[in-house]
This record gives sequence, structure tokens and C-alpha cells, in this order.
Amino acid sequence: MNWTQSLFRLVEPVVPPRFVVKRLLLLVPVLFGVASVVFAILHLAPGDPAIVIAGQRASTEQLEQIRQELGLRRPLWEQYLSFLWDAARFDFGQSYSISRGNSVRSVIADRLPITLELAIYGQAAGILLGIPLGIISAVKQDSLTDHVTRIGALTGISVPIFWSGPLLILLFSTYLDVFPTSGRIDSTLFLPDTWTLFGRELPLTGMITVDTVLLGNTEAFLSAAHHLFLPALVIGVYSTALISRMMRSSMLEVIRQDYIRTARAKGQGAKITLMKHGFRNALIPVVTVIGIQFGTLLGGAVLTETVFGINGMGLTIVTAIGVSDYPVVQGTVLTFALLFTLVNLVVDVTYSYLDPRIQQ
Amino acid sequence: MAAPGDPPRLRSYVASRVRLFGSGLLVGLLLGGLGMAGWTLYTGDARASEATVFALGALVFGFGLLGWSGSILAGNGIEAMQEHMGTRSDWTEKDSRRAMARLCGGGGGIMVGTSVVAALL
Repeated sequence: MNWTQSLFRLVEPVVPPRFVVKRLLLLVPVLFGVASVVFAILHLAPGDPAIVIAGQRASTEQLEQIRQELGLRRPLWEQYLSFLWDAARFDFGQSYSISRGNSVRSVIADRLPITLELAIYGQAAGILLGIPLGIISAVKQDSLTDHVTRIGALTGISVPIFWSGPLLILLFSTYLDVFPTSGRIDSTLFLPDTWTLFGRELPLTGMITVDTVLLGNTEAFLSAAHHLFLPALVIGVYSTALISRMMRSSMLEVIRQDYIRTARAKGQGAKITLMKHGFRNALIPVVTVIGIQFGTLLGGAVLTETVFGINGMGLTIVTAIGVSDYPVVQGTVLTFALLFTLVNLVVDVTYSYLDPRIQQ
Repeated sequence: MAAPGDPPRLRSYVASRVRLFGSGLLVGLLLGGLGMAGWTLYTGDARASEATVFALGALVFGFGLLGWSGSILAGNGIEAMQEHMGTRSDWTEKDSRRAMARLCGGGGGIMVGTSVVAALL
């Protein structure tokens, strides 16, 4: 038996490989569609890449030479096919402006871990707070706890990041001076580019909390966690609110089912019935929300990073649009699309594991 | 079960899809060609007209492709949800997929039509 057969045999009882392959194949038209939309929008938007590169004072000859070099004088269908081919190889050329001379791939490699770290902490906060709050609200329906949780959740859903972010900075950084206003680590701390494992030098991940743990630098880890707290809180509030509301309604529906009543009638304890029979079934719609929410968090990172001055993908895309750095815009948008679709694939697989009827 | 003399299953399967996409493509070709010619007459700049009309075609094509794959990915779920919530409308996964395929063909047609007219001008 070769390794692929062994792998399929291992995952088959959980999710049929055919289901995963079908979902993976559908990612191709999705990304192809996003690439087409990005190409169209950038060609419809005003602005000339040659002027962005050469500046406003460049001569007509210089501008024309740059246009020739960039292939902007080729027919549109040729540019379109060339763009799709490059996008398929994840090659978007070099940045025009924000990291001039460097490849877009390296810009993304530098900044993606920063955004992912922020989104993961935000999502973790959402899951760790939202699920217990939702369960408590459902179990204690119409009690004071339920009302307080509901008001909190509705506030969390309603308040936009561009308002809550500056407000939290004002409270915790300006007045109380508890958390820093921006940045990822104290300016006095410096981290090396590599870490050592069994005598071998390995590159760091780019996620500062992970890197400080890998380096065994406690002071740097505490500083990174201290800097990350407010942005993760801002990004996690919306997630917590949505997950708790979803968990509450899903749990309320489940605990009214006959099988829960039967389990209780047979003498099973309330907590065991709730956690053993209710929780898994109530989790099915919540998993979908968590998956979609992760994509929203990546979008939310655009605002959070701008408010907190964190140089991740969100701030990069805003800056790139502002200075018409088209290759960076194309690369970052497609990376976001790829991440979003991959997260949805994971959600689909999890969903079909929790409810095998989905595979049909 | 197919009766004797019926066209083979694969042929009818492919033919129905080609008809669907092809009808959109033909309309797109016409729109793209006319759009390119009209826009060039209006602005007097063939290159700028090609950029605008082709990009609009790519936008329609991309939107159609996203809608088509989205219908396949989530269509059945949306139908089931509508039924579960008692808010059933006439929206179906099949209709959405067909409409998006036609839109996709239309976008592709605009791109091809624009490129052909641009090459002729």
C-alpha cells in the first residue's frame, strides 16, 4: 500500500476524499473569477502605472518606455491572459511604489503572517467567549444574564471597528495608559531573523507571539501580547457577539428536541445531556458562522491595522490603493480570496464531519 | 432509461450546456463589438475604448463565474435553508447556475467581441 492510499484510508472514515476533491476543484473557478474581477476593476480605475513609477515630472518618452516595459501597449486580451497565467503561478511582478523593486510575493510573505496572527487571536477570542456565552444565554433563557449578554452582543454587532478602535485607544492608551497605541512590540526590543533548532538555523514565522516563544524570549513575548491585546479585542468583539447569538439560538432549538427530553427522562443529568447530546448538534450552524466570520475578520483587519498602525496585509492594501501600486493590490486581493476560499473548504469539511448528511 | 433512438446522454448533456453558454456568448459578442465600435466613434480613442469595454466584459465574466461556482457551492444549502425557515421563494440552485453560466458566456463574448473589433480597427 503506497502513502496516498494510506492517507485516504486514514481520512475516509471522517470525510470521503471525493467530497474534498470536488470542493478543491471548485476553488479554481472561484479564484479565476476573482482574478477577472480584480483585472477589470484595476483597468476601469483612473490612474496610469507609468506615472506612478516615473513620477509626475517624467517626460513623455520616459512614460512611453515604461509602458512598453510593463507590457501596457499589448492588446488587452494578451494582458488579461498574461495576468491570469502570472496569477496562477502567484507571480505579480514587482511593487511600483510601497516596496519598490521588491517582488509582490515577498511583500505578501512579509505581511501575511501579521494579519493572520491578528485574525487568529480575534477568532480565538470570539470562539472562547462567544460559545460559552451563547450556551449560558440559552440555558438561562430570559434571565438577567441572558438580557445582559443580548445587549452586549447587539452592541458588539452594531459598533463598527473604525469607531470602537479609536475609542478604545482613547480610553486604554491615552487616559488610562495601560496599552500602547500602535506597533507590534516595544521599540527597544529587537528580534533576530532566525531561530535555532538542534543546531540548525531556521527562519522565523513572522507571527511575533509565535516567534518570541520560539526564541524563548519572555520579555519580548509579553511585550508582543501587550501590543496585540487591543487590536485583537477590537477585531474579536464582533466575532464574539455574532457567535454567541448564533450559539444561543441554535442551542435553544436543540434543547427542545425529543431526544434531549428522552435523555433527561431516562435520568441523565442536565449538564451531561446538554454537553453530550446538545452541544455537538448545536455547533453545526455555528461552525459555518465561524468560518465565514474568519473571512470577515481578514476584511476587518484592513480597518484594525489602519487604526492601530500595524503593517499587515490590511494596511498594505489601503496604502497600495492610495498610491496606485496595482501589482500589490492584485496580489493582496487574490491572497485574501484564496484564504477565504480555503477557510470555507475547512468549514465544509468540518461541517460534513459534524453532520454526515451534508456529504450527500 | 434512454429509449432506442434517443441521443446519447453525454451528447445531450454537453449540447444543453453549450447552448446555454453559447447563447450568452453570442449576445456578448454582439454587445462587445457594437460597444467597442460605438465607444470608439464617441471618444475617438480606440485604445481607451478597448480598455474600457474589455474590462467591463471581464467584470461581467468574473461576476458570472463567481456566481456560478457560488451557486454550486452554496445553492443546495440556500434552498434547504429557505425551506427550513418557511421563506421558500422561486429561487433554485439550478436556475441560478444557468443564469450565471449565461452571464459568464456574455462576459466572455464581450471580451472576444471587443478584441476582434479592436484588431480590425
